Amino acid sequence: MENQDLLYHYFSNSLTAAQEKEFQDLLENDTEFKAQFLFEQNLKEVIKSNEIDTLKAKLQGFEKDLSATKTTRIEFFDSETSKPIKPTFNSKYFAIAASIVLLMGWFGYNSFLGTDYSNMYNENFSAYPNTVYSITRGDTENTLEREAFVAYESKDYQKTIEKLDAIPVEATKEYFNFYKAQSYLNMDDTVNAETFFTLVLQDNRSFVAESTWYLALIALKGENKAEAKKHLENLVANFDYNKEKAKVLLKELE
Amino acid sequence: MHRVQNNITIEDLKQGSDLLFKDIYEDNRDKFLNFAKKYNLSQEDNIDVYQDAYIIFYNNVMQGKIEEFTSSISTYLFSIGKYLIFDKMKKNNKTVNPDFDLSIVREKEELVDPELEMEQQELTTEQVLLKKYFVTLGKKCQELLTLFYYRGFTIKDIIEAGNYTSENVVKSAKSRCMKTLKERINTKE
Repeated sequence: MENQDLLYHYFSNSLTAAQEKEFQDLLENDTEFKAQFLFEQNLKEVIKSNEIDTLKAKLQGFEKDLSATKTTRIEFFDSETSKPIKPTFNSKYFAIAASIVLLMGWFGYNSFLGTDYSNMYNENFSAYPNTVYSITRGDTENTLEREAFVAYESKDYQKTIEKLDAIPVEATKEYFNFYKAQSYLNMDDTVNAETFFTLVLQDNRSFVAESTWYLALIALKGENKAEAKKHLENLVANFDYNKEKAKVLLKELE
Repeated sequence: MHRVQNNITIEDLKQGSDLLFKDIYEDNRDKFLNFAKKYNLSQEDNIDVYQDAYIIFYNNVMQGKIEEFTSSISTYLFSIGKYLIFDKMKKNNKTVNPDFDLSIVREKEELVDPELEMEQQELTTEQVLLKKYFVTLGKKCQELLTLFYYRGFTIKDIIEAGNYTSENVVKSAKSRCMKTLKERINTKE
């Protein structure tokens, strides 16, 4: 058996007893073999360390998302339920006046103008961050995927799509469609965005909840109440992503 | 639809879905932080511990150290997390928590699975250099080597995972990647 095959079996834990003996003999007596073994052993540690870095970055991203959601929720609760600050003489009247204006506004807007879909879309839409491809500082590698996500982070959405489209089919990753959809949506092309979000849903592997949320937003933008409700209800029933926001929107759509 | 269920299998996790990875993290986070409160570490430390525990758990799954779940994922995370908290408390004894009674902390908490690999060794100088050049390799090379050395895929597994058509193609791609890596180290060293 060739030395390289012995190393291969060692690292895939498949050495037979006889191969194990041959392996140990070579390790003791063949310096070149030993050097190669140490190189691969080191490489194994390095790859593990690299994976840990990637995982840690992802988790830190999740934390950021969570604290962002929390902040939104706190702001919402503050306006709905927190104890009012004791108004001063002037601000008291101002508060009453403002409430009347708000009430009238709300009444007028609901009774005469209907639901302000565009506002609902604008208040809820934000571009989804790149959470899949870590662009390491000083990384000299220049793959199409890296270029695509560098473009995405620089908000060059046309370029993102071009780069993702240029990646050969066999190297396609499950999250490409989601980021293509994001790019189209950021360029206000809701037709293509909807197509790609729907593909993500059909694929049903990753970003399913997120795509459902964005499909709801697209429906809002198109003033398609039934479709928006369908996606929001699906989100509330099956996922945790943006659940609170979805509930608020559903209430507004009632 | 994709939801976090109690019946997630090792195979589900090994597929490497980002969504599942996130769901499990979020699903257990608050429970863990609540549990960790009693050890009087800061919230920041607790989040750090939770993340490390999750990474250790995930690494053990990906590297085939856990072949079958003998407990729920939460139990694994709590067990590993507790071990890490005790370790942290011992290290930070004087600075973080002078009032906390360390006598209640056992020398080594019994882990849910004694086979778990808990520590990530600090990289040697040589490994740091190797890492520096590993990340400059093309994505395909990084993926192939990661499948082999981190995920413990055999060449047959790699073919099944796609992108390669035969054993010889995998083997030669792997040696080319290793050769490139060595060349980069040697020319820039």
